[in-house]
Amino acid sequence: MQSSRLQRYLHAYTPAAPLATFRMAFGLLVLASVVRFWAKGWIDELYLQPKFFFPYYGFEWVRPLGVYTYGLFAFCGLCALLVTLGYRYRAASLGLFLSFTYIELMDKSTYLNHYYFVSLAALLLALLPAGRYFALDTHRHPARWRSEVPRWTVDALRLLMGIVYVYAGLAKLNSDWLVEAMPLRIWLPAKNDLPLIGPLLGQVWVAYAFSWFGAVYDLTVPFFLLYRRTRPWAYVTVVVFHVLTAVLFPIGMFPYVMMVAALVFFPGAWHERVLQRLRGLLRSSPTAPFSPTPLRYGPARRQLLLLTLGVFFAVQLVLPFRYLLYPHELFWTEEGYRFSWRVMLMEKMGYVQFKVVDGATGRIRQVDNRAHLSVLQEKMMSTQPDMLVQFAHYLRDYYAGQGVQRPQVYADAYVSLNGRLGKSFIDPTVDLARVKDDLQPKPWILPFDDEITGL
Amino acid sequence: MKKSLLFALTLLLLTVGMFSCQKDPAGDSPEPSTGPDRKALLTHWADSLVKPAYQRFNDKLVVLKAKTTAFTAAPAPATLEELRQAWQAAYVEWQKVELYEFGPAEQVSLRNHFNIYPADVTGINRNITSGSYDFELSTAIPQQGFPTLDYLLNGVATGDAAIAQRYASSANHRRYLTDVVAKMEQTFGTVYAQWNGSYRDTFINNAGTDASSSLSRVINAYSLYYERYLRAGKIGIPAGAMTGAPLPDKIEAYYQRGALPLQLATTAHAAVQQFFTGRTGQPSLKSYLDALGAKDSRTGQSLTSIISAQFGVSAQQLASLGPDLHATITARNADAVASYNEMQKAVRLIKVDMTSAMGITVTYVDNDGD
Repeated sequence: MQSSRLQRYLHAYTPAAPLATFRMAFGLLVLASVVRFWAKGWIDELYLQPKFFFPYYGFEWVRPLGVYTYGLFAFCGLCALLVTLGYRYRAASLGLFLSFTYIELMDKSTYLNHYYFVSLAALLLALLPAGRYFALDTHRHPARWRSEVPRWTVDALRLLMGIVYVYAGLAKLNSDWLVEAMPLRIWLPAKNDLPLIGPLLGQVWVAYAFSWFGAVYDLTVPFFLLYRRTRPWAYVTVVVFHVLTAVLFPIGMFPYVMMVAALVFFPGAWHERVLQRLRGLLRSSPTAPFSPTPLRYGPARRQLLLLTLGVFFAVQLVLPFRYLLYPHELFWTEEGYRFSWRVMLMEKMGYVQFKVVDGATGRIRQVDNRAHLSVLQEKMMSTQPDMLVQFAHYLRDYYAGQGVQRPQVYADAYVSLNGRLGKSFIDPTVDLARVKDDLQPKPWILPFDDEITGL
Repeated sequence: MKKSLLFALTLLLLTVGMFSCQKDPAGDSPEPSTGPDRKALLTHWADSLVKPAYQRFNDKLVVLKAKTTAFTAAPAPATLEELRQAWQAAYVEWQKVELYEFGPAEQVSLRNHFNIYPADVTGINRNITSGSYDFELSTAIPQQGFPTLDYLLNGVATGDAAIAQRYASSANHRRYLTDVVAKMEQTFGTVYAQWNGSYRDTFINNAGTDASSSLSRVINAYSLYYERYLRAGKIGIPAGAMTGAPLPDKIEAYYQRGALPLQLATTAHAAVQQFFTGRTGQPSLKSYLDALGAKDSRTGQSLTSIISAQFGVSAQQLASLGPDLHATITARNADAVASYNEMQKAVRLIKVDMTSAMGITVTYVDNDGD
């Protein structure tokens, strides 16, 4: 019985319009992101100026390409445009996924959950048949045109959105967020000069209201978006919520990406109306001559796609919980913190002074971090142990090149988290030059001496 | 279904309510109802701290200039001593404005023109001999300002008579001395004029907390000054606190020595402390943090009491390095290192705990909070 319901679901068809609008809106937003990034001079500041970059474990070979990094961004923007137009869609979407992901892997210090979301959504788009409707490809090859797609292809995007929201909500179920209203209690008063809402932001109860509302919102909004009756209202809260976060926090394109992506919850008929209006604007010929045509995958291809999506979502569901494998407080050690939809959860600030000791002469050199790193890199590194090790290894090699014998690298790091007075972060007697940079728990992180309960 | 609709509606109303609620105009509640007032803080800093301090410093610079003219017109031990007094007075006053390296001062790199030491004696002597130099070059940074005057007034020969004689007999020396003072006057003049002109309004109207806001710039300048120029420059480097190798010759006012170097350091430290604490009833970093309710959530202790206490300990340890800083660093280096360590604790409190509590962003780049 169950399996036949599943079979029925897997063989259900739905209009292809939601995939087409998602494809176009997503492509345009990524294009806008690339243009904005370029216009702000960040390619130069973040990927050309620094002497050192923080690679991800296993992706040490991913590096900025010097001046060709501009070419990489241009390629990424071009792919985003082609995805929007639906021109050579398969190659363009794959190119978008690969180039965008490569950019994100170049340096850990630019990690943003929303970039991770873009990478994942781009990967899904490369797998899904989003280029078979309202696309230049079908204009050129009308035989490829399909007005209906398997329902699970559209639902895959909805599921990704749902995971992002719910996991972001789960991450908020901790004592700092709910009981202390941290970090909003710090961040909101800093914005108390905004028009209208400014005066409210200095009040503690507002920080609590935002914290609790934020948690409830994240946990529930995908479900309200799923049901027809609540959908319009839920979407209004999506807009209000993300506009608020855009006004309050420096999170760039994220609010707009989420606002637009959430439209995928609307039914096919709604997307069809949007596309119809767009056709009017473009004065393109109506699709009336074609009769509804579903996209039918061959069995092998269908199996493979479903299997790939299954693995993809299994990883998505499990990965955020990998922090359970580590013994100490997640917010303090950040072991298993990234790629888990932990957004805006911590006001964490640090200060680190590295010291390089000559193994032969004992001579000590103090390191000026800013001589090697950008402001952003130094800020990010000073609170994240994996980055501290990476920089220590860079310093070891750098000073060895400067003639220091068997350099030992020590760090005096001091970190404050969510309003707690700062404390020593890592063991200053451990020679980081000899510590391995891997995914094992890091015993040289000093204890947090406090507890944050919750997920 | 009805229920969830109702719920969504409530959520929406809540959010819209947050948008549209206006501040209660009465504002007579006992608690600070809207949080700290940054514009009032910036206005107080501009009108009651920076501008008056600049004015007092300017007065000292005017005297320094006059005494320089008097000395170069008639080089003698008496005019030398008067010039030296004026230099000392200006140098002490400088310690009360060096921390304001933001806005116009940052633009002209005021500190680079006034107080980078040790002085480059070889370069200075080369400049004097050649008679051609450009104080805007980066190599010329340690060939000008107070440290160069220190060398010119105390170090070019042994004994006042010999020093005066050096100027009496060398037009190049007289010219270099005059040019150094003139450059200081000119550089500071542009900064002073901007604060008395339009910059004051620019400063107080940039009242946000992002990386380009006045508050962010002030905090950056303040912590950078305390960390690098007070903690490391005045004590840490000469005491060898960071390297284990004392270099007492790198103290401030090395050629003058005696009580002055420590007086400069304690004056600077008091200025930093004063800037934090402010005056009773007036806005300050302390009152700002108190209005935020910043406290150590582990112990409940207020952040400002922790910072004030650490400043107190650090000031006390610094004062114990007298009377002659150069002698102390040589004879009882451990005390100097201890002083550095106390300042280091204060640096952490300022750079990390205070900055974090104020919610100041240090970069423009997108950032989702870790």
